[in-house]
Amino acid sequence: MFNNQGTTSLPEQASCKKANSPFSWLSKTLLGVSFAIVIASPGYAATEAPAHAKACLALQAKFPQFKGKTLVDAINPHTPGYESLDPKDPGKYIGFDIDLAEELGRCLGFSVSYKPVAFPALIPTMQSGQADLIISDIYATEERAKAVDFITYSKVSDGVLVAKGNPKKITGIDLSMCGTTAAENTGFVEVPLIENLAGPCKAAGKPAPVLQLYNNNADCVQAILAGRADTYVNDVNTVDHAVKAYPDKLSKALAVTLPYFIGIGVPKNNPQLRDAIVAALTEIQKSGFETALLKKWSLGEGSLEAPRVITSK
Amino acid sequence: MELFLHYLTLDYLLYGISLTLEVTALGLAGGLFLGVILAGMQMSRHRWLSGFARAYAVIFRGTPLLLQMVFAYDALPHIGLKLSAMGAAGLALAANEAPFIAEILRSGVLGVDRGQVAAGQALGMSSSVLMRRIIAPQAIRTMIPAFGNESVSALKNSSLASIISVQELTLRSTQLASSTFDFFSIFFASGVLYLLLTSAIGGLQLVAEFSLDLDRAPSRHPLLRWFSRFFAGNAKGTSAAPAQAASNVASEPLASDEQAVSPAVVIPMSRRDRAARSAGLSQGKIMVQVQNLSKRFGDHPVLSGLNLTVRTGEVVALLGPSGSGKSTLLRCINRLEEWEDGAVRVGGRRVGYAEGGIVLTPTEVAKQRAVLGVGMVFQQFNLFSHLTALENVSGPLRWVHGMSAAQADRRAHELLQRVGLGHRAHALPRHLSGGQQQRVAIARALAPRPSVLLLDEPTSALDPELVNEVLEVIRKLAVEDGLTMIISTHQVRFAREIADRVTFLSNGIVTEEGPADEVLTRPKHPLTARFLRVMGADSPAAIPL
Repeated sequence: MFNNQGTTSLPEQASCKKANSPFSWLSKTLLGVSFAIVIASPGYAATEAPAHAKACLALQAKFPQFKGKTLVDAINPHTPGYESLDPKDPGKYIGFDIDLAEELGRCLGFSVSYKPVAFPALIPTMQSGQADLIISDIYATEERAKAVDFITYSKVSDGVLVAKGNPKKITGIDLSMCGTTAAENTGFVEVPLIENLAGPCKAAGKPAPVLQLYNNNADCVQAILAGRADTYVNDVNTVDHAVKAYPDKLSKALAVTLPYFIGIGVPKNNPQLRDAIVAALTEIQKSGFETALLKKWSLGEGSLEAPRVITSK
Repeated sequence: MELFLHYLTLDYLLYGISLTLEVTALGLAGGLFLGVILAGMQMSRHRWLSGFARAYAVIFRGTPLLLQMVFAYDALPHIGLKLSAMGAAGLALAANEAPFIAEILRSGVLGVDRGQVAAGQALGMSSSVLMRRIIAPQAIRTMIPAFGNESVSALKNSSLASIISVQELTLRSTQLASSTFDFFSIFFASGVLYLLLTSAIGGLQLVAEFSLDLDRAPSRHPLLRWFSRFFAGNAKGTSAAPAQAASNVASEPLASDEQAVSPAVVIPMSRRDRAARSAGLSQGKIMVQVQNLSKRFGDHPVLSGLNLTVRTGEVVALLGPSGSGKSTLLRCINRLEEWEDGAVRVGGRRVGYAEGGIVLTPTEVAKQRAVLGVGMVFQQFNLFSHLTALENVSGPLRWVHGMSAAQADRRAHELLQRVGLGHRAHALPRHLSGGQQQRVAIARALAPRPSVLLLDEPTSALDPELVNEVLEVIRKLAVEDGLTMIISTHQVRFAREIADRVTFLSNGIVTEEGPADEVLTRPKHPLTARFLRVMGADSPAAIPL
């Protein structure tokens, strides 16, 4: 399940480190991959050790099975702020979730490689054994917890993205959405909520909302930009990011929205990994590291959530 | 524009190309491998093999590639087969390409003229020699455009691997767009990159078509030469088995060239000469013996207990209306057809059966044809259309009889000289007239020194003005070489001139048989008489009404 050799480790991180000639990419990449195997041994350098470094060493002793391994993290890297390519160096993923995954790895002694998949493919990818964990801004809901175990690490409210000036006067997943078109990703928790509006809308004598389903955040934002959809409901940070990217075309609606917990997904058949992540996350939060990360990525310092396992049969 | 150029040359996207090409290459190579197997199974005589191939095609052609990719990536691990993303994408693409490639291969093979296959079989080629020398070189030429299409489609389909996390061009483009919000510059750049790749495939297709173009003079460029040889597989001098003795065929041409051939002056043999000749022949060894031969196509009987004996040096003309079984009889003598009942013996050996009555396999039949030496000339000539006149004659000598290239070419040149076509040795069949093609076909049939030559309506497909040049060649073979021949023909006059005996067929049985002179001038059977009357315009011996 884990790659000892690291042959598939970090091909993204390793590749394309600003090659000089556009045609030297192949050889550089091959070199890069082989170097990555050597360099990427995780651990703390003496100078930059954070406050939880000592506790992490104890955890490495307690959970030795992860030390030196490469764990595959399934991500849907279309959510700037949480996970996306580094626009300055597309060979790398960046974001709050990436930093957190790297820090968890450093704490428990494993390195992380990233597997980019569509949002609805996150859970199936881990279930089929193609990934070891999911850290990808995914809400830890009861429904999803039937398939995977979650460890909470952040809480967030939904935001409502609309075209500039909110021409349809949408105020959230309520009767204001009747007769409008909403863009969502397949598998998003908002999808059934919007679908359930059909009844109340009909009762109010209005048409039901129309749903357009996409595979990632960027497609949903594009749907509004192209005038195909009126709204896109997702976590408020992602909505803010989109508004920041297109200030002339998009707005965040003034809306009353639900709070959600964001969780790290781990397989149900790997309680050791679950326990190790809970323990490491506890230390990373205790030292103030996660709060610093939330600040770094402008996600709101108050959105920290203590590690709690969400599981259901 | 600046952004577009930036993304067009961005290493991150260029590296994606290499993964795109990797998925495509895996898909095409795997698809070709599976496709060859599937095509073979589909054309197999075993019903369960072809059934399996058909079921495979239904499933993999009938489901979306996207689902197949997800299946290979997410479902196979549940049965313990965990492939890398690249491996899963390659497997899914290969499995999906296979039935399409199999159909291309199958239609290419089936598209090769059946007559050429029959001609190859008649020359004693085994299935593998036929496939390698006759079918594949022609099929490949016709398949190149379809393969070009398939490669372009596979390249574009490789973008679906993005769904299972293969970092190819499409996935890299979408991720990059998500993080930079430069949607249009990025997708325009990646579109241009795809266009460059598909254009490159189009270019390769053109090069392949150009280098395999038969109408083009052989290229001097080594790369193109290699390319032609690689695809066509018709390089000279591949076999160098111990040679047979060099020939000492009469150097005098049978037909010096077309002008010289046509106004042939025919001096019929006198009755006394004929009597002497037939007396001599009747003492000869039996060369071909057909006993009680019966064959049916479905419910329709074609041959019904037919008997025929031909002695060494005899020329027998088969006459009879269309559908009387003449062609089928000739094809049976060469075991190009199977039959229900009866036996055919050539040179005393039973055709199609081993000692003890065991049916020979197709490979053994091919060997037997080469050993017995039954040459065949077809109504439609059936020259191998990708080979020059010379190669048509010399090729089978190398491939079937193991002659060295030099000896085979020498023999081929001699024979082409004899049929008056020495100057057309390097012409392709399609550049020859019908009469010339049939003369090359005769040279090809004579090349392995057959003990008996079967000619199936050799002039029926020719324009009237070309008939004589072919008849003249055949006439000289009979008179000068004393070759044993069985000719089915509608040329009553010609039959009378050169045949020792005439056998008249009707509805699959022999209705009348005897010395040519006798049967053609004084037919006893009413069917024979009627037939001769109908053909009367051609025959001076026809009985006036």
